[in-house]
Amino acid sequence: MAAANDAFRYEMVNVRPGYIVVEHERFSNAMRSYFSTEDTPPVEEYREGAKVWKYSGFAQSFRFDVMDRETGETHPFADLLGLVWWAGCRDGSEPAVIGDVAADQKVQVYVALTWEGPDGRRAPLAAERLKVLNRYFNERIREPGKKILILPDCFDLGRQFSYGQVMVDLGLTALD
Amino acid sequence: MTIREVGEKLGLEPLTTVPEKVVTGVYISDMVSDVIANAKAGNVLVTIQVHNNVIAAANLVDVAGIVVTRGRRPADEMLALAGKAGVPVFATAMDTWQVATRLFEAGIR
Repeated sequence: MAAANDAFRYEMVNVRPGYIVVEHERFSNAMRSYFSTEDTPPVEEYREGAKVWKYSGFAQSFRFDVMDRETGETHPFADLLGLVWWAGCRDGSEPAVIGDVAADQKVQVYVALTWEGPDGRRAPLAAERLKVLNRYFNERIREPGKKILILPDCFDLGRQFSYGQVMVDLGLTALD
Repeated sequence: MTIREVGEKLGLEPLTTVPEKVVTGVYISDMVSDVIANAKAGNVLVTIQVHNNVIAAANLVDVAGIVVTRGRRPADEMLALAGKAGVPVFATAMDTWQVATRLFEAGIR
């Protein structure tokens, strides 16, 4: 759990270290991922009906909630896969262009990527939860005039990039 | 103490332009997710990690600067990203422990 700081309204709580485990299906090469809190990332191949899922790779990551000290409410962010920084996006892509313009005004843009649901779709984070996340990071910024702006994934980044590309190229801050 | 003064005091090699940012403390980590969860604004991040994601995380939590230890050299791409984030990056042949002790001796807690 992150150290508490009485000066801030929002606090990161229930920090759960773990792994983003990426796997692929042997026959169709479909890919998917899940979050594991096991001590070591599971690498065993397993069968799921007619499908056989094989381990592809992992990255260390974590899950967390954000507590509002004013209201006592805890906002879970278990569906947040990671934050993509604009400067890590492909040149000329929408988040890169928007981020570049915003950075000129000392606003650093990130895009919140969410986990895939069972149907393969990704539901973007709702605006109210994004506001909480933005408040959490912005109230800690010390550099005068600097702002963090975390946007929902309106850019379809989750669909545009495979997991491998996300981990290697995209600048997903929850991965390393 | 500013990050520029820290760099001079420890004899670090600046790999980017170094703005005047006040240093509030030190955080040592090679895990990007750990930096996001636990580093604080104004911290000096001491690491051997030279992945581009370090810059994304450092920018997000507003660290004062990054010190890459053990003689590792970030790629030009990472340094370009650091420039976009305004996060200064230094290199040193010292290992992380040596940097930590030098920062402590410099009065940074």
